[in-house]
Amino acid sequence: MTRKQRRLTLISLAGVVLASAVGLVLFALSDGITFFTSPSDVLAKPPAPEQRVRLGGLVEQGSIVKEADGVVRFAVTDGKATVPARFVGILPDLFREGQGVVAEGKVDASGLFEADTVLAKHDETYMPKEVVEALKQSGEWRPEDAGQASQAVTQ
Amino acid sequence: MLLWIAMAVLTAAASLTVLIPLGRPARVQPAHAGAARSIYRDQLSELARDKERGLIGEGEAEAARIEISRRLLNSEAPDGDTRARPQPAYRLERLAAVIAIPLIAIAAYLYVGSPQFADRAATAARQTEPTAMGDIDELIARVEAHLAANPEDGRGWEILSPIYMRLGRFDDAVRAMGNTKRLLGSTAERESLYGEALTRASGNVVTEDARSAFEKALKFDPQEARARFYLALSLGQSGRKDEAIAAWTALIASAPADAQWLSAAEAELAQLKPTATVPETPATVAPGPTAADVAAAVGQTPAERQEMIEGMVAGLAARLETEPTDVEGWERLLRAYTVLGRPADAEAALERARAKLVEQPERLAVVEKAAKDIGIGKD
Amino acid sequence: MIVELGHYALVLALVLALVGGTVPFFGALRGDERLMSVASTTAVAQFVFLALSFAALTYAYVASDFSVQNVAENSHSLKPLLYKVTGVWGNHEGSMLLWVLILALFGALVALFSENLPLKLKALVLSVQAWIGVAFLLFILVSSNPFLRLDPAPFEGRDLNPLLQDIGLAIHPPLLYLGYVGCSISFAFAIAALIDGRIDAAWARWVRPWTLTAWCFLTLGISMGSYWAYYELGWGGWWFWDPVENSSFMPWLAATALLHSAIVMEKREALKIWTILLAILTFSLSLLGTFLVRSGVLTSVHAFATDPTRGIFILIILCVFVGGAFALFATRAGTLSQGGLFAPISREGALVLNNLLLTAACATVLVGTLYPLALEALTGEKISVGAPFFDMTFGPMMVPLIIAVPFGPFLAWKRGDIVAAGQRLLFAFGAAMAAVIIGLALMGTPAALALFGVALAIWLMVGSLSEIAFRIKLGRASLGESWRRGAGLPRSAWGTAVAHFGLGVTVLGVVAATAWNSETIVTLKPGEVMSIGDRTLTMDGFVPLSASNYTGTGVRFTVREGGNVVATMEPEKRLYTVPNTPTTEAAIKTFGFSQLYVSLGDVSADGATVVRVYWKTLVTLIWLGTLVMTAGGVLSLSDRRLRVGAPKPSRRSVAVPAE
Repeated sequence: MTRKQRRLTLISLAGVVLASAVGLVLFALSDGITFFTSPSDVLAKPPAPEQRVRLGGLVEQGSIVKEADGVVRFAVTDGKATVPARFVGILPDLFREGQGVVAEGKVDASGLFEADTVLAKHDETYMPKEVVEALKQSGEWRPEDAGQASQAVTQ
Repeated sequence: MLLWIAMAVLTAAASLTVLIPLGRPARVQPAHAGAARSIYRDQLSELARDKERGLIGEGEAEAARIEISRRLLNSEAPDGDTRARPQPAYRLERLAAVIAIPLIAIAAYLYVGSPQFADRAATAARQTEPTAMGDIDELIARVEAHLAANPEDGRGWEILSPIYMRLGRFDDAVRAMGNTKRLLGSTAERESLYGEALTRASGNVVTEDARSAFEKALKFDPQEARARFYLALSLGQSGRKDEAIAAWTALIASAPADAQWLSAAEAELAQLKPTATVPETPATVAPGPTAADVAAAVGQTPAERQEMIEGMVAGLAARLETEPTDVEGWERLLRAYTVLGRPADAEAALERARAKLVEQPERLAVVEKAAKDIGIGKD
Repeated sequence: MIVELGHYALVLALVLALVGGTVPFFGALRGDERLMSVASTTAVAQFVFLALSFAALTYAYVASDFSVQNVAENSHSLKPLLYKVTGVWGNHEGSMLLWVLILALFGALVALFSENLPLKLKALVLSVQAWIGVAFLLFILVSSNPFLRLDPAPFEGRDLNPLLQDIGLAIHPPLLYLGYVGCSISFAFAIAALIDGRIDAAWARWVRPWTLTAWCFLTLGISMGSYWAYYELGWGGWWFWDPVENSSFMPWLAATALLHSAIVMEKREALKIWTILLAILTFSLSLLGTFLVRSGVLTSVHAFATDPTRGIFILIILCVFVGGAFALFATRAGTLSQGGLFAPISREGALVLNNLLLTAACATVLVGTLYPLALEALTGEKISVGAPFFDMTFGPMMVPLIIAVPFGPFLAWKRGDIVAAGQRLLFAFGAAMAAVIIGLALMGTPAALALFGVALAIWLMVGSLSEIAFRIKLGRASLGESWRRGAGLPRSAWGTAVAHFGLGVTVLGVVAATAWNSETIVTLKPGEVMSIGDRTLTMDGFVPLSASNYTGTGVRFTVREGGNVVATMEPEKRLYTVPNTPTTEAAIKTFGFSQLYVSLGDVSADGATVVRVYWKTLVTLIWLGTLVMTAGGVLSLSDRRLRVGAPKPSRRSVAVPAE
């Protein structure tokens, strides 16, 4: 092979690898990502049943019902709208009524949110960033509750 | 002062790290080309070995040998000339090292640092420097000052000891309780409190000393709950499981239903044998109020802690309203107000004692005498 | 006094870094040897002063000096001594101090142990290193100073997140930092080479041990972090594609690529520009990781603080160093001479493929990590890119890489014979196929995808060992002869084989733990029994717990296999007192290479407890594999012939007969 051919082979190899990487990324971005929504969004514009979403808000007071074999029903609210949710499994330690939560899953035909992952972070005063913003938009935000954690570290 | 000396030493060291290499004659340094050459020679010998072992073919080996040899020849080109030039005197550089380094460092330090903190040791800052807020440290400091002047005041030590316990200063509590015993004599309660302080001071392990204190307490009063609690704990800790279970069972059986240490005792018992019921969240080792609140107290703010102490005193005052015949209680209240720096309250309490005990002159006499000792109610 | 002295030492370190960044640099430009030799002394002194400073902060933690704001916020006098010490770097300020301490440590090591390094190169490397130090020391002093004082001093500290009171977390950040910051050395070498304008085999050899050291630490650090998340978070997962994990994984991928391209550079003087670029990229990704974690752009367990000024400060550092490096690269790269030629099928070709796949994989991870941030900044739309994205992109990139790895060492430099290499790998191919056939017979077609993964892993493991077997003529010569040849093989050859084998082990663990992971959630009361696989778990009862800083409840389980008791397990729920935080402690028992993992959910008043039980097939191989990889790295590092600097003639004459 000549010098030119060798270089060409290398460049085309690089091209193939890059193109497949780009292709994979584009394909995965259309399919492998989840959108963040608030309860108001879900009620106003229900996502398609196969669409995975992250639902963020507060666990509504008095909504947690524990059933047999780890089935938990609760409701996620942002003060304006409330979405009932169902989850099977072990909830995080800090999952409590009135606290911020992010649930990941799908909304079924009846409007029930079938969560497969529930996140509550490891700090009592922590609130997921998305939840803060969703609550701010719906006017439910009480900075004095959530400010403490960051204040404690940064002052 | 020491800080400034130490800082001067560090600064001098920093300046020296620049001055020394400037003053040192340049050594012969390995040249880049030389290093590259020895690597190429290395590669040639590796090639020869590979050929010997038959790892590469004759033709390839020859091609590689030629290529490496060519690189070897190319690297023979001399390095840039770095030698044999007159060395400057570096006057400017040296001056900078001696003046600029200290100047910048000290200026920057004075801007960000807090040299005024230098002479405060950590513990000193916490124990002997009460802050201006009149918090618990100040109160303790006042009592401590009082006791430093009157070290034979057993009652003062007795008041101080539980406060130390609440603050988690167990070693001080041991000392205070030891003084109380020495000055006021042994009782079941004092022995068991002493033992408790010893136990907490050694990280909740019932030591030999603590055990003998508890045993003494039981000689005075075989039903003394605190001593029995810790002795049961010590049985468990020394691995005498069956005896421990028996001791806990007996203790729980004889406990009044509202005893605060009951749940802790049950938890200890439960820990010795797995049970089929959900235990209540166990407290650490918590007989009576003394130890139960310690963990909580340590996490409180000074204001909260002071509130707790005030609460203790207020509780005592309230109890005396309903049980005015507790002569010792009155005496403790008067003393507490005095050492806390509230003489007006002490006077008021004395007035109340006089009113309540007007029917019982012999009891009132005891209170009056105590008040005289403490130095109130002169009029 | 000690604390203030530590503070002053920190300031002095900054001043020395300034001196070390400027004086030797101009010395190098002017060819003045004395000015250049200032680099070494200041680099060592900078480390000494930072060590003093770090020791002073540690002292403040151990003595619980709450007049130091950092101590008051992150410690507590009742905390166990070990966690007082680890608390030093369990917070933002302290961890940044550790970061610069390690940076200075690497600088000092270069200054002390690079006798063969030409003075000019050394001066340039150390002054680049010093500039990085200046940037981060300024960052610490201006926006994250751990030595700020409080007056009046609070009576008690505010403790540390109980989740962070863990031995895993105590070891994991320093290891990771050793890896992250170690990449700064190859960066400094790359910049120095660009300024110096010369880069050759010697350069590659000087960089090699530092890159390898950083890579080993990075591997260990990531692996420990993964194991920590596995046992501490209680979800049984070992990798979450969390942005923070990604930000340590990207430098690892780039460093792995750099290790391989530096080989080409040393042997063939090819891929010069690419190697320089990789060295810059690797450290840029380390800085990016630091930025992502420290700025609070991402909310994560690891993000200590969300303070915009800090974020902007680190962003500026990132832009200056990365931007400056790339600008320098753009102007100077053309001046570097071109190296040797090679055919596409050759050792070089294989290493190029490795580099392409690794960097492409690294790029997909980068996209997945930054895309949500960019999208939110541009459109305000919030998305999360989770495991599915990375499974779809990263996974497929790794398959060709794993297939290609065993071929590499069998191909000759310049022009390789792929057919001959394939023949030598027949045994490995046979072993992989055998595994698939046996697996299909036992489990049927549903397991096909998992079996493909297993086949890949076995191919990689056996293939890596095949190279050694071939070179020592195993089976073709007498055992004694093979032994003699094995002992004579360079350690770097053993290192390569061991590291590739370790990768295979990890792949096997990943595949098995993902494919044959069983998970059961049940509600149990004391005395009840559940079964998982061929084991049963009996819930014996509750055990109350108490320690100095928490109380809680444990649940005792007895594990039986065929009626025989094989283990007891005690997962816990803890309630830390300061601050009031509940945590879950999973119980893990290892059987062979697999693990049984039990974690607790809610306990209701009548004793009914939600229990989550996992069976994780071969899960420990994931971390054992990384240990093997690291061992391979250490083995390669111990190869005298490739150690720092070129071997001296006298040593070489001794070394040759031994090989």
